[in-house]
Amino acid sequence: MADETAPSENTVLGRSQIFTPEVVNDIHMKAELGRYRMRGGGIFKKIPHWDELVFLPGTLTRFVIEGYREKCETKTVLGGRFAKKPLELDIPVYITGMSFGALSLEAKMALAKGASMAGTATCSGEGGMIPPERDLSTKWYYQVIQSRYGFNPHHLMLADAVEFFIGQGCKVGMGGHLMGQKVTEQVAEMRSLPAGIDQRSPARHPDWLGPDDLSLKIQEVREATDYQVPIQLKLGAARVYDDVRMAAKCGPDVIYLDGAEGGTGAGPHIGTEETGIPLMAAIPEARRALEDVGLADEIDLVVAGGIRNGADIAKCIALGAKAVAIGSAALMALGSNKDVAGADYEGTFGVPASDFYHWHTGKDPAGITTQDPELRKRLNVDEAAVRVYNFLHTLTLEVQMLARACGKTDVHSLEPEDLNALTTEAAAMARVPLAGTKYIPGVTEEKTLTEIRDLLAKHIANDTGGNRDV
Amino acid sequence: MVAVNETSRTGRYDVRGLAEPDAEAPKTARIDGDSAVVDAADLSTRQINLELRRLVYGEGISEVTVTNPGAKHSIAVGLLTRCRITVDGSLGYFACTLGDGPEIHVTGRVGWSLAENMMSGVVVVDKNAGSLTGAAMRGGDLVVRGHVGARTGIDQKGGTILVGGNTGSMTGFMMQRGRQIICGNAGPGLGDSMYDGEIYVAGTVASLGVDCVEEEMTPRDDELLDRKFRIYRMDRPERFRKFVCGKQLYNYDTLEPSERKLVL
Repeated sequence: MADETAPSENTVLGRSQIFTPEVVNDIHMKAELGRYRMRGGGIFKKIPHWDELVFLPGTLTRFVIEGYREKCETKTVLGGRFAKKPLELDIPVYITGMSFGALSLEAKMALAKGASMAGTATCSGEGGMIPPERDLSTKWYYQVIQSRYGFNPHHLMLADAVEFFIGQGCKVGMGGHLMGQKVTEQVAEMRSLPAGIDQRSPARHPDWLGPDDLSLKIQEVREATDYQVPIQLKLGAARVYDDVRMAAKCGPDVIYLDGAEGGTGAGPHIGTEETGIPLMAAIPEARRALEDVGLADEIDLVVAGGIRNGADIAKCIALGAKAVAIGSAALMALGSNKDVAGADYEGTFGVPASDFYHWHTGKDPAGITTQDPELRKRLNVDEAAVRVYNFLHTLTLEVQMLARACGKTDVHSLEPEDLNALTTEAAAMARVPLAGTKYIPGVTEEKTLTEIRDLLAKHIANDTGGNRDV
Repeated sequence: MVAVNETSRTGRYDVRGLAEPDAEAPKTARIDGDSAVVDAADLSTRQINLELRRLVYGEGISEVTVTNPGAKHSIAVGLLTRCRITVDGSLGYFACTLGDGPEIHVTGRVGWSLAENMMSGVVVVDKNAGSLTGAAMRGGDLVVRGHVGARTGIDQKGGTILVGGNTGSMTGFMMQRGRQIICGNAGPGLGDSMYDGEIYVAGTVASLGVDCVEEEMTPRDDELLDRKFRIYRMDRPERFRKFVCGKQLYNYDTLEPSERKLVL
């Protein structure tokens, strides 16, 4: 009689795909901690992504634009609806809001300097304005965020644009998180908080609840800023069609949609994994909403979330975004997730540098997502700024390259017709045809049904009692 | 609302009719020495604010009275200089917000989010105020002689809120710093999840919020209360109770296993 439990490879039946080693370890850890687990970074699980779309460049149906020789415009203007001074960016990409607190002073300064070199904007993020960042930014967003940490009307007057933070794609429906080890005396004082506490920012604004009073809040900030600068509403991508319709009716100049791929300095792992929809699905929904309320030409759409390269940006623009914001990729351009002198990622966190998601711990070996004075010394502001500039410039070159190949003399002329999908999921979400077919799931069926309905209606109208057919 | 002029595109007017990008100061105020009176009866929000700015910043007038305010929203916002403004009547939402320096007296009632994010100065309202009064306020004195709604001083970061009547539920929700003095009764959930600061209540407290505890009054507390009541010439109720943060939620991982249910 064979022993079916004998310690041998031949007796093993298999391994659970549900209770994987990571899941088992996670359960053990939660059983010790008695709380949900925190981490930095973006979504881990596989979701339909930009890799599943490709461009259809010009061949004989349309002619292409010469790289380097023929102009391909990248200038991007945001918020021309009501603002006396719309935000003019040289390139269609800027650095999104990341707080001083989540990031070191040096990281904020380098991002500001690098963005200014590239002719684009940065954003204050949650913790209020830090003067060196404002000084180094030629174009600067000031955030009106739920917590209002450090919010100061004098700083509001220094803004080139105002962003109302309503949600973020990484953890839609949740407020910010900053763990105690990063709430230093300086960070705490800027936020009027006790030092060293686990800061869990409010998820809801203190002075308005729904779209009716948000309209009034926008009016208030416009009164305070004299209609000089654009008002942007940042939404986490969830019920995008309805949310964007409501946001548009609140009267903003710009709507910013953040996809589920977006990262965070610190957030609950479950929140990061389980909230929001991919950007690829969100952009067509947002365009549809803006068109349905008749404001597609008035309100600009900015998008963000997991953007890695110029192709991702070009695809966002093709689907209908005016500009794209980057966060995680900008940190990597600074030098995050990079083996630097003195770093021991494996020894400290048990992962290689490229897998480093421990931004919430404040122990970033690259000196970026930390407040530790010794670690901060590892980030040279000027050198990091050049890297940020180089990266932003490269992104722009990549967008231009794809736009020229598609026959466009302005990157903003990219359109959904320039795209095909490699999977049915991507075709359904992005609403572009599956490669090699005319098939767009949902759209094709709807069109066919409408044709059948019309034919039937015509048939009934022409029905003269069976004497003749349609 | 402001009339659409010929050069305006239709898109310059939003769905709710709140945006007034092309308005100009009406210059209708009656100026008498260093004081002025603005009749707001026929003016829009934008026109009232532009007129206030013209008078305070442009003409250097330190005392302005606004008559017939008609409970309009977003009036007297973002004034960043010392001045005295009297509003003879009632205001809507977002009244007297984002200010640094002005002393504003409203003789009527106000809507939600009064003096939101005020940095310094004084706002006095003679009658009732709505919910979210003094939201995210950072400094100055906010005095409401009547009752206020829910979540008074939510996210408050400094300054003093003095309420002559009752406050609604969740007063001092997530309050960070500063003081609240409630002469009447406080609704359920007082001081829920507050980080710091003091809430003084003279009347009854329906219930305390998470991590809010009562603390003994000290002579310093009494001195503060006496001073504030003296400044605003209000009758001080004799006995106050003081509520502060229990500080149990500062760091979750330091809680005992049995205490963790606090956050449910």
